[in-house]
Amino acid sequence: MKQTKTLAVLAALPFAFAASQAMAAPSCGANTGQAASGDPIIVGGIHGNAAPGDFSAATDAAAAYFACVNANGGINGRPIDYRVENDQWNPELAAQAAAKLVNDTKSVALVGNGSFIEMAVNAGTYKDADIMVMASACAISECFETPNIVSTNQGPLPSNLGAVMYAREELGATNVACIGLNIPNNGIWSCEASINYMKSHGGDGSMALLNPGAPDVNSALLEAVSSGADTILINQPAGLALAILKAAEEQDLRDAFNWIAPTPLYDLSVPDAVGEYWHGHIYVNAELAPFQVNGPDAQNWIAVMDAHARPEDPRDTFAQAGYLSAKFFTETLMEMDPADVDDRAKVSDAIRAIKGKTSDLMCGPYYVGDADFHMPNHAGYMVKIVEGGYEIVRECYEYEAAYFDPHHAIEKEMGLK
Amino acid sequence: MRLWHITPSGWAGLIFAALAFFLFPALAGNLWLSVFISTGCFTIAVAGVSFMYARLGMVSLTQVGLMGLGGWVMLRLNHAYGLPFEVNLILAALVTMVCGWIMALPAMRMRGLYLALVTLMAAGGLEILFATYQFPNGGDGFWGVKTGSAAPFTRPALATTPEAYLRYVVVIALLCFLLIEAHRRMKPGRAWAMIRRSEAAAMAAGVNVTFYKTWAFGIAGLLAGVAGGLLAGSLGLLDDATFRASESVLIFALAVVGGARYWYGALIAATLYRILPALLNNWGVDADLSFVIFGAGLLHAVITAPDGIAGQIAGALKARKAAKGRAS
Amino acid sequence: MVENRLLNWLLYVALMAGTLGWLGSGKPFKIVGLFLTSGLAVGSLYALGGIGMVVLFRATGVLNFSSGAAGAAGAMVAWQLGQWGLWAPLTWVACILVALLITLAYGRYIAPRLAWRETVVKAVATLGFALIILGLVSFLWIDDPRSLTLPTDKIGVKFLGLRVTATRLIVLGAAIGIVIGIHLFLSRTKVGLQMRSLANDRDLSALIGIPILRVETIAWGIAGVIAGFTGLMFADLIRLEPTVITFMVIPSIAAAICGRLENLAIVLIGGLSMGVVESMLTLSSTLKGARPIAPFVIAALVLLWYQRGARLTFGGRD
Repeated sequence: MKQTKTLAVLAALPFAFAASQAMAAPSCGANTGQAASGDPIIVGGIHGNAAPGDFSAATDAAAAYFACVNANGGINGRPIDYRVENDQWNPELAAQAAAKLVNDTKSVALVGNGSFIEMAVNAGTYKDADIMVMASACAISECFETPNIVSTNQGPLPSNLGAVMYAREELGATNVACIGLNIPNNGIWSCEASINYMKSHGGDGSMALLNPGAPDVNSALLEAVSSGADTILINQPAGLALAILKAAEEQDLRDAFNWIAPTPLYDLSVPDAVGEYWHGHIYVNAELAPFQVNGPDAQNWIAVMDAHARPEDPRDTFAQAGYLSAKFFTETLMEMDPADVDDRAKVSDAIRAIKGKTSDLMCGPYYVGDADFHMPNHAGYMVKIVEGGYEIVRECYEYEAAYFDPHHAIEKEMGLK
Repeated sequence: MRLWHITPSGWAGLIFAALAFFLFPALAGNLWLSVFISTGCFTIAVAGVSFMYARLGMVSLTQVGLMGLGGWVMLRLNHAYGLPFEVNLILAALVTMVCGWIMALPAMRMRGLYLALVTLMAAGGLEILFATYQFPNGGDGFWGVKTGSAAPFTRPALATTPEAYLRYVVVIALLCFLLIEAHRRMKPGRAWAMIRRSEAAAMAAGVNVTFYKTWAFGIAGLLAGVAGGLLAGSLGLLDDATFRASESVLIFALAVVGGARYWYGALIAATLYRILPALLNNWGVDADLSFVIFGAGLLHAVITAPDGIAGQIAGALKARKAAKGRAS
Repeated sequence: MVENRLLNWLLYVALMAGTLGWLGSGKPFKIVGLFLTSGLAVGSLYALGGIGMVVLFRATGVLNFSSGAAGAAGAMVAWQLGQWGLWAPLTWVACILVALLITLAYGRYIAPRLAWRETVVKAVATLGFALIILGLVSFLWIDDPRSLTLPTDKIGVKFLGLRVTATRLIVLGAAIGIVIGIHLFLSRTKVGLQMRSLANDRDLSALIGIPILRVETIAWGIAGVIAGFTGLMFADLIRLEPTVITFMVIPSIAAAICGRLENLAIVLIGGLSMGVVESMLTLSSTLKGARPIAPFVIAALVLLWYQRGARLTFGGRD
């Protein structure tokens, strides 16, 4: 999610400083320093930016990376023409965006997509057109359970599982109440997986659902509280999560439960917004490397953003995911026969052939493979909200749940594990 | 007025339908095909609101909610039985019509603002139901919702491509307008005209006021059902965000802005509702700012055009004709 | 008439007791208490929104869909000023001022141009205005987790096992206070008398020389202040998201309908009942998913009850 302009700039400052110490210029693509001037290669991207949320961070970061690639020799001298559409959380606009990018223009792939509905509407279109989507800010089941979409971020299901697993192992959780959105392919889908996980480990779980537009969040919280749980999983976008935490603070429920949350609460404006009361008491699963890890890719990401993104573009997890998708995509194109990069089918094949790409931003290897489902990213960090930021409480760990059995099987087949 | 007489405005409508049928699908790319299909669906829905408002002075603030109901039935039938698209569409329209009636029965005791508000409450209720139970996507049980990806949707055999589907929508929209016009020219139309003028007179003349008002609600519901079914067919799935209560209010406002008394008023309203935002989006206007432009346009039109934009067009045409008449 | 009214009240009490008894039966008293007090807060907000709407509607004939948007704009401004380090009480004043200015702007410059339109058209036009404000607010403040906290959140009392913050008590108190205050204003002051006269018959009021513009401006002002206060409280108690605050008007209209768009006391009771029933529905395993539907169902039932026995009459006003 985007941050306010001031906050984003402030947050970027320390990283910019670290980056400027580490390296002067970003490294992208062929790294020639020469602007690409050939025939452009068209690549699309779709984000959702309207009430109730802004999912454009990933496409912003992907755009910055592509701009950097174009300034550094492009793809064998050819620039990438990155075209981004906004679905505005409207299924009709989502279909229109895909019609424009996939059917009207010959985009070779879509990169950096981030939305709550676009994937549900367009999964069929992508399959029919045999175009691959390397998404970055995915939140619904279609992102992970359809053949033509692969996402760099984890989405709510693995991130929830990661948080629940940590709570069970480290905080002694035996009964988890998952407060989710009343949306089948988001809240219910991801809460169910956490409950199943708890049950398979001798624990128990329940879910309390709330309508995204309903004003009253207190009822869902009270429902979770009265369910007999010892741990509350706030499986919500940051705005709603804050409302729930505030209601919990009012009831002084902090010490009666363990409080855990998936990645949406990993956002630099959250520690301030939750307030002092919660510092040290909320455990959040981070699906990409937290900012303090600051490896080479993290630094390069900041350098790319500083050089090619607008200052107000957010530097958050989704931006990292957008950067990674764009980077993996560029590498894939550059490894292809230059004659084939305009051929959508061949680009799709090349994307499906991606395996074993690594980055310090991600715990596991990134791969695509030829399957009906894709979820390369299912390992992460656990962090705790402290004053002014986050403290890492568990380094990279694999989430262990039956849900990932098919994924593990594929990884074994591809020789990744 | 004779049933088969074609007025100049009627000719214009038929010519426009022909243009839309032959020209639009041939010229538009996939993006605009999809925009035009949505516009077509909403034209049908607006026609229902406009007709109730213009003929009977009744305000329905639940039309988009009823569209959602039609779409829900459409999707449910599609995923439950392998019936042809047309059968599903007719069933969806009939179910929505019956719901329109049910809603009308208590509403019949009310008039003006209260009637509008009771329909707004219905729209609010439908919004919550859609948000809670979601639209069927091929799951089991009554609600037919499963987690994970949606099952495929069967488009009409006649119209599997977007071009053909646009033609299909145009034909159905034309049929809907003809249905309204036919009603207007037959017994219900006369009854409505009388009720519009004075309910007392209508009652005194032996017109069954309740029956004809309810009938009008049914037709508006029918049109909403068709519109929702067609919209479901164009996307293959629906999302509750499309059918918020505020959208129903907006559609009514646009029907007024377009000009409820004219067939092209409905078209103008749907154009403002779907084509204008798509244009702004295409020109790269920020989504939030296009809301501002949209809202300002709406206010401006409500203030300046008492008979809607269509009324202004009709007025301008009449003035030209009169000027010509004087000149010759 | 008196008997009729008594019947209505008895029916209301019986229905509420029945509903709450049915929902709360078999649940520990503490849990029921939790949901009850939680519902009262949301209900107060519904009621506040409805009260502002009714005051304005009675005096001007405009049902204002944009009051939520005005409140949202005010709340966002208050948040922004707070971020810039302004002294908190000033940000609250700013919130109310912004909502007041927005509402007055509409009342003075746009509403008069629509004075000749039907009531319904006047109402839906305000939605256009709401879209303008919401668009501007979302443009200025891009989506981000934000929260607004009042110092009264830290003070609280225990009630039925639930900690009730001073803010919640303030909202409830304010709703009751505003109803009483406006009642006194309408019955004791000259402007109040003029407002009642406008509500009775606008044309006649104009004829006997009531300064319509002035009276209407005051009504828009009162509505603006209430909208700002509601926005601030909503941002604190529920959440600071412009879209959610903007579309709070729809359940608020439901509360206004309960009072037939005229009786403030019933608007208050209606709003509170809606909030409580909505919250208590969480206890029902079958209905909890659809609990936000409560205001609409209640309003529809109330409307039908009012209209029972009514027949289509000849002429007259709606």
